Amino acid sequence: MGVVERLSRLDRRYIFLAVAIAVTLPIFFPIGLPIEVTAPVKQLYDVIEDLPERAVVLISIDYDPSGAPELQPATLAILRHCFKRNLRVLVLGMWAPGVPLGMKALEEIAENEFHRQYGIDYVNFGYRPGGAIFLINLGRDVHDVCRTDVYGTPVEDLPMMDDVHSASDIALVISMSMGVPGSDQWIWYYHARYRGKLATAQTAIGAPRYYPYLQTGQLIGLIGGMKGAAEYERLVQTRGLATIGMDSQSAAHMLIIGFVILGNFIFWMQKRKR
Amino acid sequence: MRLQIPLTIILVMGIFTLVTSFIPAKPIADVNQMFRNWYIGIITFFIFLGTFNLARSNAEKIKKQGRDWQYSIILLAFLGIMLFFGFYRGRASTEEGQPFMYLYFNVQFPLESTMYSLLAFFVTSASFRAFRARNKEALCLLLAAVVIMLGRVPVGTAIWKGFPTVTEWIMNYPNAAAKRGIRLGIDLGLISMALRMILGIERSYMQ
Repeated sequence: MGVVERLSRLDRRYIFLAVAIAVTLPIFFPIGLPIEVTAPVKQLYDVIEDLPERAVVLISIDYDPSGAPELQPATLAILRHCFKRNLRVLVLGMWAPGVPLGMKALEEIAENEFHRQYGIDYVNFGYRPGGAIFLINLGRDVHDVCRTDVYGTPVEDLPMMDDVHSASDIALVISMSMGVPGSDQWIWYYHARYRGKLATAQTAIGAPRYYPYLQTGQLIGLIGGMKGAAEYERLVQTRGLATIGMDSQSAAHMLIIGFVILGNFIFWMQKRKR
Repeated sequence: MRLQIPLTIILVMGIFTLVTSFIPAKPIADVNQMFRNWYIGIITFFIFLGTFNLARSNAEKIKKQGRDWQYSIILLAFLGIMLFFGFYRGRASTEEGQPFMYLYFNVQFPLESTMYSLLAFFVTSASFRAFRARNKEALCLLLAAVVIMLGRVPVGTAIWKGFPTVTEWIMNYPNAAAKRGIRLGIDLGLISMALRMILGIERSYMQ
């Protein structure tokens, strides 16, 4: 059996082993290649930079642990930027398994890093069911659909919410999303009715479908996957999990490209032989 | 009657919902708001319905000792454990250090992340075996994929500074055009499907 024939029958466990090595090695031996910031990420950063102090930013945690490696670093970076700019943050989510992720992010950034006060600087309303209908109601009357926060505190007892009643009181909405309900619903049902500024962070696989919305101006920014999160980390000048993960992602992409080339070389050789 | 009553409900509710989009005036808007609140209530109830169905189907599988029935035991056991720790201290269950949060961050989180990350292994294996330039179209797709893969990671920029720019161009023009076309097609299909359901032509959902 020739080399080409043997390669064509390569046991996929060797491929899996190569992926494991490519992903793991850069974690222990980081290369630290520079990260270029793309326009959709910079646009969101600029919008947050231009918001007046104490403006309200709503962050919707529409993902679960499977999407967290890509989206949680973006959530942390955005929260860091918001609190650095002295903005108020309202967190909620349309995915029940995402609630603890939102709580952990707030604990890490708002409490531990910036020492912000709950109820004054930020509020967490936790899981909100209803998808599209919830968003329609939210834009009309926030107090009506968020009567208590995630800890059971009535909305009237949260000073931050005194001047937050409807969509017009929210300066920016950022949907951290990996599926349905998520960014689609925010665009179709919330933005279509109440306008305002809307941005999204997506898993890498979901990001390409939001470019048309970016062109029409329905989205003012887009963070795509771990790379997008790493770009945002660069903008807020932190070295978070996304930046650390970039070397692994670089190695994995190079490996896939290598296998694509190898696979096509084998295919071409076999075709010539026939 | 078993057919006519549901069809009438859908006809009336469908037309009503359509009308409310054009007449946001007081009595109609209030009724519409009431329906929206009902919808949220019904959706919330589905969570219990889904959990109940999951438990029932897996219990039946264990009883009949169907294929891979052992996994159903693990599923039901963890469903019970998470429900117990989620309920026994009420809202306080989500406080730091509670068993519910411990299980969430030390069992559910790594398990779900691992499942999702397995994609990297399968994608690499598939790229080696299936991603072939068999014709011009496939070659075009392959080249676009390679450029995007390089443009999306720092190593691509290190090789050639132009990769991110070319990637953004592909995303902004060929990708956006294709996505827009697909989206329009889906939406036109949805409108026609909704009309068919309102008018009672499409009845497959009742079977």
